[in-house]
Amino acid sequence: MSRASVTDTLKRSDGRPDTRGGTAPLPAGILIAGIAATLIATVGTLIVQLVYAWGGAGGMTPGCVQELTIKLAGGEELVNGALGVCNVVRAVISPTQSFLFWVALVVGLGAAVAGLIFYRSMPTRRMRDQCISGAVLGIQSALLVIFLMWFRSGNVFDFARNFLNFALLQDSFDGFVRGAKNTLQLAFVGELGGIGVGLVLAVLVISQHRVVRAPARIYINFFRGTPLIWQLPFFFYLLSFGFGIRLETFTVATIVFVLNTGAYAAEVFRAGIESIDKGQMEAARSLGMSYLQAMRYAIVPQAVRRVIPPLMNEFVILIKDTALIVVLGLTAEQLDIFGYARQGYASSFNATFFTATAVAYLVVTLPLIRLVNYVEERLRSGMAGRV
Amino acid sequence: MPNPDGSLVKLEKIHKWFGQNHVLNGIDLTVQPKNVVVIIGPSGSGKSTLLRTINLLEEPTEGRVLFDGKDITDIRTDVNEVRTHIGIVFQSFNLFPHMTARRNITISLRKVLGKSEEEADEIAMEELEHMGLPEKADAYPSQLSGGQQQRIAIARALAMRPKLMLFDEVTSALDPELVKEVLDAMIRLAEEGMTMVVVTHEMGFAREVGTRLIFTDGGRIVEDGKPREIFDAPQDERTKSFLSHVL
Ligand SMILES: Nc1ncnc2c1ncn2[C@@H]1O[C@H](COP(=O)(O)OP(=O)(O)O)[C@@H](O)[C@H]1O
Ligand SMILES: [Mg+2]
Repeated sequence: MSRASVTDTLKRSDGRPDTRGGTAPLPAGILIAGIAATLIATVGTLIVQLVYAWGGAGGMTPGCVQELTIKLAGGEELVNGALGVCNVVRAVISPTQSFLFWVALVVGLGAAVAGLIFYRSMPTRRMRDQCISGAVLGIQSALLVIFLMWFRSGNVFDFARNFLNFALLQDSFDGFVRGAKNTLQLAFVGELGGIGVGLVLAVLVISQHRVVRAPARIYINFFRGTPLIWQLPFFFYLLSFGFGIRLETFTVATIVFVLNTGAYAAEVFRAGIESIDKGQMEAARSLGMSYLQAMRYAIVPQAVRRVIPPLMNEFVILIKDTALIVVLGLTAEQLDIFGYARQGYASSFNATFFTATAVAYLVVTLPLIRLVNYVEERLRSGMAGRV
Repeated sequence: MPNPDGSLVKLEKIHKWFGQNHVLNGIDLTVQPKNVVVIIGPSGSGKSTLLRTINLLEEPTEGRVLFDGKDITDIRTDVNEVRTHIGIVFQSFNLFPHMTARRNITISLRKVLGKSEEEADEIAMEELEHMGLPEKADAYPSQLSGGQQQRIAIARALAMRPKLMLFDEVTSALDPELVKEVLDAMIRLAEEGMTMVVVTHEMGFAREVGTRLIFTDGGRIVEDGKPREIFDAPQDERTKSFLSHVL
């Protein structure tokens, strides 16, 4: 089969010729094997978990309950969440799961070996791609299986009891919601205030006059150069002892986040403004505009588009950095979501609270990260000029 | 109100240093109204810098620039006001990419000259027609060819009704087939009696349209005279060598 004859006959759905060529049973089989191994290792494992979770297959063994019992300070015993945890563990160590692991391992390695052997001799680009994709998927699923089997050989009970004991969270739902609200509030106010502070600082820091530039530069370098975890208590004590201003701890934290974010936002704005071709400023000034008019009508509207993705990145970082208010003593009302987790941990010695909190952070940050990538892509591919 | 000697622009003993780099070395130049002064010279000889001192995009390190009866190098002069009377067109167009062609033209009419939206629109359309691009009023620069962008840039400068137009290698960034439309627009302007200072590598334009030709080298004016005379019989060795390379 020559290259030309293959490419001649194939058309893509949109009518353009498909230059990648046709396929054959061998490369298609390798790709399918790779996909199958991946699905067995991931979706298969998930299904086993779900079956055990719903069916409670086999119920709770006494040994399982024993493993899950936590002795509290007063001599009380806590087996909360035992059922869920027990099912997680039973699923992980079940023979069904073992069988799936071995199947995935064998199929995955088979796809990897076959793909690597044959990809060079494939006559069309599509066949080669299929061999390579199949081999890569096979290697990935094999590695995943090896990783899971290694994990399974350890003390799964202890791990699940400490990190996946979700039933423990039932009683503290209010605290969880309040913590999430406080975290988001800190991040939003910090970001919005920071953008305001950053705009002013950026205008100052790009000034031609050293005397205008210097204070702004010192401010920015101070906040970028010292750890946030030091700034929080420092400003807390500075305000209360130094200036005699008694503010809510939460308010002080918000102020510090605004000041800190301002320094980073200023650098983002500065870079955005400086990235605009200097011909734009020259053209605007040549038309008789003042410096501020040129900024207002020519430079800033172009810079704004470019600073959106980095500002959103800063926001994602800020969401996670709000956890640092842990260094200030907060009341239960003021706790952020990380503080909630610490409180939960302190009362139960169980890290599942941290697991739940990590999931909560991800629920907010993952869509934001995707959005940043999307916006960046749009700005890059979009027409240079249009807003 | 022209300068005391009747000229529109008068450069007196202009020196410009960029750090250690002595880019303009004692330039004296007088531009009479309705003249088309063409500046040629090797790359790096200071042509752009010379042109840009006329509207103070570059401030001379030494010397005076008189424009229309005023010493514009005096720090008490309102540079923004002076610049409304001097149009400049750049090699790289420098249109505002986030504005339509029309708004590129009206923005300074409205924000600098304080004209109403209707008045500014009217002037913009007039200048777009002048440049043969009335149908591109609502196009963004990225939707236009280089030649069209450059003509919009000329229209933008002309809309301010300047007394002087500066051109800095305005055809150098264009594909060869687009050069003519821009040169034609400049020729029309010259015929209408606009005072122009033109840095260019288009020797045909220099010879046919220029009323005066200046050759710069090493930050000095080494030859100054009628274009035809210089092209036919250059006096300075450097001019001879330069012309033998470009003609
Ligand atoms: N903003 C600047 N800063 C430093 N050096 C500059 C600047 N602009 C121009 N120069 C230098 O001045 C010299 C003359 O530049 P220019 O006037 O652009 O020459 P030309 O337009 O004749 O090619 C060159 O050596 C160039 O590197
Ligand atoms: Mg130049």
